[in-house]
Amino acid sequence: MATQEELLAKLKESVIEYQDDVCKEASQQWIDEGYVALDGIMDGLAAGMEVVGDLYDKNEYFVPEVLMCADALYGGLDILRPHVPEEGGKVKAQVVIGSIQGDVHDIGKNLVKMMFDVAGWDVHDLGRDVPLENFVSEQLKTDSEVVAMSAMMTTTMLGMKKVINMIKEKNPDVAIMLGGAPVTKDVANLFGADGYAESAGNAVSEGIKMIARLREMRSKEK
Amino acid sequence: MAELTPKERVMRLLRKEPIDIMPFFSGMGMVVMPGIEKAGFNFPTIHTSAERMAMSAIESARLMNFDCVVIPYDMTMESEAMGNTISLYAESEDILYPTIPNKIWSTLDEVVVPDDILERGRLPILKDAIKIIKEVAPELPIGCWQLGPFTQSGQILELDLMLKGVFKQKEKVGEVLDLMTDMIIKIGNYLQESGCDYIVLREPGVAADLLSPKTFKEFIQPRLTKILNAWKSPKLLHICGQTLPLLPMMAECGADGITVDIKCDVRKGREILGPDVLFMGNIDTYTMTCDPKTPVQTSIDHIKDMIDGGVDAVMPGCDLWPDIKEENMKACVDTCHEYGTKPSPAVGRL
Repeated sequence: MATQEELLAKLKESVIEYQDDVCKEASQQWIDEGYVALDGIMDGLAAGMEVVGDLYDKNEYFVPEVLMCADALYGGLDILRPHVPEEGGKVKAQVVIGSIQGDVHDIGKNLVKMMFDVAGWDVHDLGRDVPLENFVSEQLKTDSEVVAMSAMMTTTMLGMKKVINMIKEKNPDVAIMLGGAPVTKDVANLFGADGYAESAGNAVSEGIKMIARLREMRSKEK
Repeated sequence: MAELTPKERVMRLLRKEPIDIMPFFSGMGMVVMPGIEKAGFNFPTIHTSAERMAMSAIESARLMNFDCVVIPYDMTMESEAMGNTISLYAESEDILYPTIPNKIWSTLDEVVVPDDILERGRLPILKDAIKIIKEVAPELPIGCWQLGPFTQSGQILELDLMLKGVFKQKEKVGEVLDLMTDMIIKIGNYLQESGCDYIVLREPGVAADLLSPKTFKEFIQPRLTKILNAWKSPKLLHICGQTLPLLPMMAECGADGITVDIKCDVRKGREILGPDVLFMGNIDTYTMTCDPKTPVQTSIDHIKDMIDGGVDAVMPGCDLWPDIKEENMKACVDTCHEYGTKPSPAVGRL
């Protein structure tokens, strides 16, 4: 029988070393041993991803490695997530996410999505090449707190500005996150967005930092 | 002041021969809305006909005083010729370049380059567009470009297959890159035979914020070198994003010059490359040329700083976004011409 610490270390390492099989096995074992699923997600999988973020910032890992780590994390998350009990009466936070029209790349979008999946949000993923008005209608339909958009190409990013205006006009309280290679912090400010991730790479960093903040908040609640 | 035609100026610069004033040119998109409108076309229609492509390019250059025209405009010609369907966004009010929303191949094993690729899709219109430009605007040099093998593979496959494949399916990734490499050589040769004056190999998908320099060395550099060696001069190499760690390797690929985008500090870049390498860049193509809030003086200072930083020619760091703020765009070009009268590190003055 593996101790809780041993299994947590295994979950964490399997994400860092992008070993999906080990991660799935350790996640199943975690459930079989009767440990708390959310602890496995936060202190195992997410903790591993935090290290991945550091390795990325230090130029030891690059996007291919991070994509493989994310695959491993999802392998574990699929097993652990169904065992997290719904919090009675509390509505889950929601996010609408997608790459905007004209942009058929979704690597950055998927990495930011991972952060919301780890946090247990309801994610409304519109995919890629998404017409601008679909972000607005989906937000209104779901009443999501956050709209996250990405554009990998300079040529598509101006569409974001329109979406932000359309959403803020109807619902000024929605938080808007922008990401994508050509979007700089200045541009995000200029467009009136609330959050920002600089590139597919920085989406990794930023997404992972948000995971770290979630973990901090959770440890304070404990 | 100006003694040379734009074509003489650019061709001399690319041979590192003395010129009169610094040219404002590029190997990437130089088509702008005022030029497209003057030619009388809508954005979605300029990608599909030789005449509309040629005339929108010429009008853009003449209105803005650019020292070149560059075709084609979009990155999907090759993928389309390999069998994919493009989306032109003909109904959209926004400026959207053609894309491939859904790719016909879902694995690395499926990739095939047809032998008659030059006859397929829109590739044949490029030779016609070059011919028209030569006739109508003989004073302008014609730049053409090809995506590098890694970025091109992202137009025919999901890019994450290639990215993860770098670790998980090394051989397969190598095979796809080799297929792309041979195709890029072939299309580049076709463009040069059709009369393009200089050619740019642009590989934006391999910057050091995406792939490790080690992966660049192992997978990318040998293929970029093969392509550049197979093309005639003048030929340039462009990579976007974090390029400082890659510059020494870029300089070994066999290009006549290196171009970079706004994420590369040109002073540091020049220091790494030394004074003899033709080095160009790196206008911020949103803030300095489009943003309605940027004062003209800020754009002027940006250009001067770039020239003081040691570029041999001022070049947009990426495709110009067509919806320019004309005042700033013109100021960028004028400043380049007026402030660029002194010799640059690699190129003297007449």
